[in-house]
Amino acid sequence: MDVFILFAMVVGLMLIGVPIAVSLGLSSILFMLALSDTSLAAVAASLYNGMAGHYTLLAIPFFVLASSFMSTGGVARRIIRFSIALVGHLPGGLAIAGVFACMMFAALSGSSPATVVAIGTIVIAGMRQVGYTRDFAAGVIAVAGTLGILIPPSIVMVVYASATDVSVGRMFLAGVIPGLLAGFMLMTTIYVMARVRNLPKGEWLGWGEVWSSGRDAGWGLMLIVIILGGIYGGIFTPTEAAAVAAVYAFLIACFVYRDMGPLARPEGERNLTLLDRPIALVTAFFHRDIRNTLFEAGKLTVTLMFIIANALILKHVLTDEQIPQQIAGAMLAAGFGPVMFLVIVNVILLIGGQFMEPSGLIVIVAPLVFPIAMELGIDPIHLGIIMVVNMEIGMITPPVGLNLFVTSGVAGMPMMRVVRAALPFLAVLFVFLILITYVPIISTWLPTLMMGPEILVR
Amino acid sequence: MSGPGRYEPRSMLGKVVHEFEETAIAVMLGLMTLLTFVNVIMRYVFNSMVIWGLEVVLVLFAWLVLFGIAYAFKVTANLGVDAIISVVSPRTRYVLALLSAACCLAYALLIAKGAWDYWAPFAGLQQTTGHWFPTGFDPNTRDRAFFETDQIPMLEWLRWLEDAINQGEAYSKMPRMVPYIILPVAAALMLFRIIQVTIRIVKGEQHSMIVSHEVEDALDEIAKTRRGQE
Repeated sequence: MDVFILFAMVVGLMLIGVPIAVSLGLSSILFMLALSDTSLAAVAASLYNGMAGHYTLLAIPFFVLASSFMSTGGVARRIIRFSIALVGHLPGGLAIAGVFACMMFAALSGSSPATVVAIGTIVIAGMRQVGYTRDFAAGVIAVAGTLGILIPPSIVMVVYASATDVSVGRMFLAGVIPGLLAGFMLMTTIYVMARVRNLPKGEWLGWGEVWSSGRDAGWGLMLIVIILGGIYGGIFTPTEAAAVAAVYAFLIACFVYRDMGPLARPEGERNLTLLDRPIALVTAFFHRDIRNTLFEAGKLTVTLMFIIANALILKHVLTDEQIPQQIAGAMLAAGFGPVMFLVIVNVILLIGGQFMEPSGLIVIVAPLVFPIAMELGIDPIHLGIIMVVNMEIGMITPPVGLNLFVTSGVAGMPMMRVVRAALPFLAVLFVFLILITYVPIISTWLPTLMMGPEILVR
Repeated sequence: MSGPGRYEPRSMLGKVVHEFEETAIAVMLGLMTLLTFVNVIMRYVFNSMVIWGLEVVLVLFAWLVLFGIAYAFKVTANLGVDAIISVVSPRTRYVLALLSAACCLAYALLIAKGAWDYWAPFAGLQQTTGHWFPTGFDPNTRDRAFFETDQIPMLEWLRWLEDAINQGEAYSKMPRMVPYIILPVAAALMLFRIIQVTIRIVKGEQHSMIVSHEVEDALDEIAKTRRGQE
């Protein structure tokens, strides 16, 4: 009963427009003060240790920073050019290229709304020019943009790993095949629709274009190689990998792509080279663009971590009151098996994913369902991927999916039209969710292959 | 959705403070990244490491976020759910905004008491008594001023702390009161910003305390260029 009041309060506060972080924090504090003799000092301490005590979460600011350096229009344009060179000549080519570009950008950015903004602004306009309807274009991008949290590196996965003490490296690897599979399913759907509806196709520009655009985009895409290679090669921890990635992204943005920093010139002019202005090696660190990018990444880190730190307070309340164990006991007593349990998890996350920032939701739901899943013998990595895919779908499920909202802004069309446009692709993702939920090997095969079978400690 | 446009500082002082806040956030994140990066390089190239590196990075992480919370309240960057408040009548929205401001105030007050109570013993000061509200100072607070951080070296210009709070005994490492000081500072800043926002809401200059997603600014920009084209 107490738990019910606690959750009702969290949701109630959120719905009347209290910031998510405050809804979580205030409810937990009131609950704690009323029911136990925990002091407010302990609450403040856990707020501080939400950051200072979590080495894994430290990866978040670095990933956010790396993606801020890579989220400039320039990088998105290079990736799109490469995608068009590769798949633009197929029927529905530009739409397929859009999905492909979203997949690649997802690997650089780790955030779904950011992917929609970066790829969507360019691709939706481009698709309309060659004769696609605005609805089709918006539907494709809204759905493909959700891949951002599934394809590694993903902030949501870092949060899941931190909340449940599984390895970040394993989670990242586990996301690779499902991410590719989801992208492939979307592209196939578009291909079939294009054949049936006779959608426009582009021209094959030759291997020369593939090579030159690939080389150009390659500088950015190297980021994924550094992160994944670095982690699995045992060169650095995920947190260090994220920091190295951020520095690499800074160097690329400043000295190779020159989209920002002292060597950048306004659109149309040729950028300077390092030889023109060698002093840039020093001034780059103090340049206004760099300061702004650092600030934007810092601000996003603040808002995400504010939620996560408060969700951690709620997590304390839940574990102190032994709530997960009670729920687990009740569910097992009611005779629920793994299948029924996963359906319930699906439903909770689909609803929650609509309202809430995914990483905050994971911090709250993971400690609740994790012990139950362990009792039922569900693989923790598999559970993590299920949760991520669920939230992906939550982001594009009407009435209030976040990605729908962002897409309606990017495409300049009403929310309901985006909803209708996204429906066929949403159906594809639902099939994908069922596949992921009941075929664990899709998620667990690659991490087991690369890192050996995991050791479960109960 | 969050109100009339983005936050713009008006007075001279407002501009200076705004610039300081943004730069501080940028610098802290930059330092964290560089320190972590340097330690990776040190490990592979020089086979050594900056021993206090990780601890300082974690402290900076906490400072960045706690300090940034007040800023996020100021510019209305906190994430929230606007499904309900965007469909109700302006009058209801006004009432809901006041309610949520009250909740934020309550939160900030509770955190402020907690932050003081946690930090005070480390600074040789007295905690407040009371479970919910501060009812006075507790003279029996156990002094924890001798607690030091694990690795962070003591800074020379902070030596005066030894006489001030540690009975003249030398600190070999940085005392904990230094990193923890961000707690009461951040709580006070947050309380101050929430009061400001509450006043803006009462006056009707702002309609909510939240944005519904992180790319709000980018979308505003897109909408602006679109209007420019049409």
